[in-house]
Amino acid sequence: MRFFSHQRPEIPIVDHIKSDGTEWTIKEKLWLGLSASDYFKQFFRNPVNWLMIGIFAVGVPLILQRYIYGLAAVTHASNDYPWGLFLGFGLFGMVPLSASGFMLGTTCELFGRKDFHPIERLALLNGLLGYFFAVLFLEVDLGMPWRLPYPMFVSLGPAAVLFLVAWHVATYLSVQIAEVLPAFFEWIGWLKGKRVIRKMVLGLTIAGIILSTLHQGALGALFTYAPSKVHPLWLSANFQWIHFFCSSIFAGLSMVIVSSTLIRNFAGWRCDDTFKNSLDDITIKLGKGCSLAMITYLVIKIVAIAHDQEWAYLLTGWGSYYLLELGVGVVLPMFMFATAVRNNSATLARAAAWITVFGIIWNRLNTSMITYNWQLYPEIPHWKEVWITVTIYSLYFLTYRFIIYRLPIVYNWKGKK
Amino acid sequence: MKTTVSRRTFIKGGLAGTVAATVLPEKKSQAATFEGYPDGMGVLVDLTRCVGCRSCEAACNEEQKLPQPEKPFDDFSVFDEMHHGQKRRTDETRYTIVNRYDVPGLDHPLFRKIQCNHCQEPACLTSCFVNAYTKTPEGAVIYNPKVCVGCRTCMIACPFYIPTFKYSSAFNPRIMKCIFCYDTRLKEGRPPACVEACPQEALTFGKRNKLIEIGRQRIRETPDKYEDHIYGEHEVGGTAWMYLSSVPFDQVGFDTHVPKEPILNYVKDFLGIVPMVLTIWPALFAGFHLLATRKDWLKNKNEDTHEEE
Amino acid sequence: MRTRKKLLRTTLALAIGSVLLWPQPGSAMEAADAPETVEINSLSRLYSGVDFNHAMHTEIATCVQCHHHTTGGEVTDPNCIRCHAKSGESDTVSCQECHSSDRFSKEDLSKRDNPALYHIDKPGLKGAYHLNCVTCHQKTGGPTGCQDCHTMTEAGEKMFQTGKYAPTETTGGEHSGH
Repeated sequence: MRFFSHQRPEIPIVDHIKSDGTEWTIKEKLWLGLSASDYFKQFFRNPVNWLMIGIFAVGVPLILQRYIYGLAAVTHASNDYPWGLFLGFGLFGMVPLSASGFMLGTTCELFGRKDFHPIERLALLNGLLGYFFAVLFLEVDLGMPWRLPYPMFVSLGPAAVLFLVAWHVATYLSVQIAEVLPAFFEWIGWLKGKRVIRKMVLGLTIAGIILSTLHQGALGALFTYAPSKVHPLWLSANFQWIHFFCSSIFAGLSMVIVSSTLIRNFAGWRCDDTFKNSLDDITIKLGKGCSLAMITYLVIKIVAIAHDQEWAYLLTGWGSYYLLELGVGVVLPMFMFATAVRNNSATLARAAAWITVFGIIWNRLNTSMITYNWQLYPEIPHWKEVWITVTIYSLYFLTYRFIIYRLPIVYNWKGKK
Repeated sequence: MKTTVSRRTFIKGGLAGTVAATVLPEKKSQAATFEGYPDGMGVLVDLTRCVGCRSCEAACNEEQKLPQPEKPFDDFSVFDEMHHGQKRRTDETRYTIVNRYDVPGLDHPLFRKIQCNHCQEPACLTSCFVNAYTKTPEGAVIYNPKVCVGCRTCMIACPFYIPTFKYSSAFNPRIMKCIFCYDTRLKEGRPPACVEACPQEALTFGKRNKLIEIGRQRIRETPDKYEDHIYGEHEVGGTAWMYLSSVPFDQVGFDTHVPKEPILNYVKDFLGIVPMVLTIWPALFAGFHLLATRKDWLKNKNEDTHEEE
Repeated sequence: MRTRKKLLRTTLALAIGSVLLWPQPGSAMEAADAPETVEINSLSRLYSGVDFNHAMHTEIATCVQCHHHTTGGEVTDPNCIRCHAKSGESDTVSCQECHSSDRFSKEDLSKRDNPALYHIDKPGLKGAYHLNCVTCHQKTGGPTGCQDCHTMTEAGEKMFQTGKYAPTETTGGEHSGH
């Protein structure tokens, strides 16, 4: 609680009622109970915010440039490389990292594992924001972003994999909004809404599993359209969807570990004791889940190579690169997670989670950009493309932080629930 | 003709159904593969005849009202142009390109014309989620810019790197690709502009079935002149534009590793699991839920009965 | 585009003009009976016609090389021998008698649908000229450039965007290298 005064014990806000008995207004809740000048004082004291300002100062004009002069002005997207970082990172990377929502939704609501409850809302929020910003990345990349609803309502091509992705991401996004709404309803104090959602929770969770299985898989299946373009080691027509789905499990769990670690370290004032005290235990349990999902993933990866008779590729330069990706991105964190579970070390699990998140992004970039057109020539993204990607990601970070600071995600609402 | 398109409609129907989360009645009785419209037209490109005069490029530019080129169409220095170590390719200003290949051991260069091959079962079409592509009964694969969202999946899916995107436009981008002169010529049964312009009859226009016959005849009667292969007869499930060559096809820039079946076949494994997940998952996970929470439920029940007692 | 087709048809003047044929049963036609020059101008839209020096070519090539079996000379191509070993001299040796000037028209294509037809692959008139001339010129070192034989017309310059229609630096179309 670096920037909250000791004279004001009622902040951070955890209740509708102030210590003097009056109610917080929504406006006061938005300002975190601070006066505007206090709010900006603490805002500008934070070096991260200055970094953000720097990123946006360049990034926003670049985004404008993209919408005024077209994709050619800011990206290296070409006729040989139609997809760049916006999709390679923004869509194919963000979506698996957001699998946390359905994973913990399933664990808590379906399997009744109450021990994961303190982190459930964070996992749901992580999912919702990840998907929302994946769509935002898509909106930067689409040639005609104003036609986003076309596949839904105007001209339907239901035999296409992308049709499935579009519909499922859209419906899943609504499911996730519904799942996160209770936190919002608690915060604004509209309990009726919360009760309505509460009744739907089982249905929403099951819908979440179905939609996630299919669209996580569908993102992988998109590359089966390019069997002669993506390197065979990164593409298996039969197993591609399983690879993407299975890796999204440990990707999502690791992302929650990473995000909870950051919140605990840098927004500790916002966490309540339940969250703080159970986090180490939960982290290790999540790490156990990760290591199990990773061994499954490794086995399916090897099965795919055996099935497609691709052993010979392993001896090539691409093969070494492939083994490096699997070694650093999967095998290493898998052993780290396993050791963490055995030694009860949350710190080690957290380190493994960071590596896993990096590994999954690496894998998606490898599939969508680096080994794509492996027989042609490599394409390096335009610096403006990189900057815009960072800008959108920073917006994601800010939104994430904005919500964490306010809604009861990592703390329990003290007022009526 | 309805029955021949059954597979595509079947999958469409199947997926449309799954999106609505309903199970459609099975339509297995119909043909398993789409072999193309019986009267579909095509073009047989004979590399042994092409002299690289670029008349087809010029005619295409005129017919499709494409932008003015950087160099005149009788400028042959374009054959030496390289981008990223690659020879020229189609882009938003040109639907067709002729490239020169100096084949080792051959005293003269060979020329290869590139354009959309108008697949029998086009990958661009099957990958498009807004149905912007149509395979017409005449054999052309045409594109509707009015519904295109600009996702560029068709460019990922096309095994021949044919569709190009107007990246330079922010407000009116679109896919640019050869449409077999469908609107202006093919619809009326006339050959595309490039075919009409070719002095060497290196481009032979006709019904696809007939062209395969012609190709076979050329190979049979002059076996020394040709590779015994018609590129496009079976590649990616068959294409309307096919090629004959005097040297192995990989020596004149063809991708000889493209699959011999439609690209869609590679996607079917995934498409097949969609109805399964949609129908089995809800019951499966609801079951898991009941099992996992059974203890709590029993406990609650016992508490209830205790209370009653 | 209709006008273009019309043009093609209307310019379909006789390519080989007043060739008098004196059928001589039992013996092949003599090269000396043929005209000195032949104007080939039936399809002259983009390029002007060709004044073909027939006399000169008879000195360096045999009749069969260009006229196939029609002049009654000895047929050597094993594919042709099957039917034309003894088919003798034809009534006409003019290219366009056999090679269609409206190749790929509906009529032309439907004629070739006949399953009994052997010559399903017979080139059209333009193809026949070029395949014959260019192939031989490539082998014998004759001229092979387009304008070595016929000069480009204005319509040609327009289509090829060359000459006075050549692109200038400023009007050159944009090429998306990326």
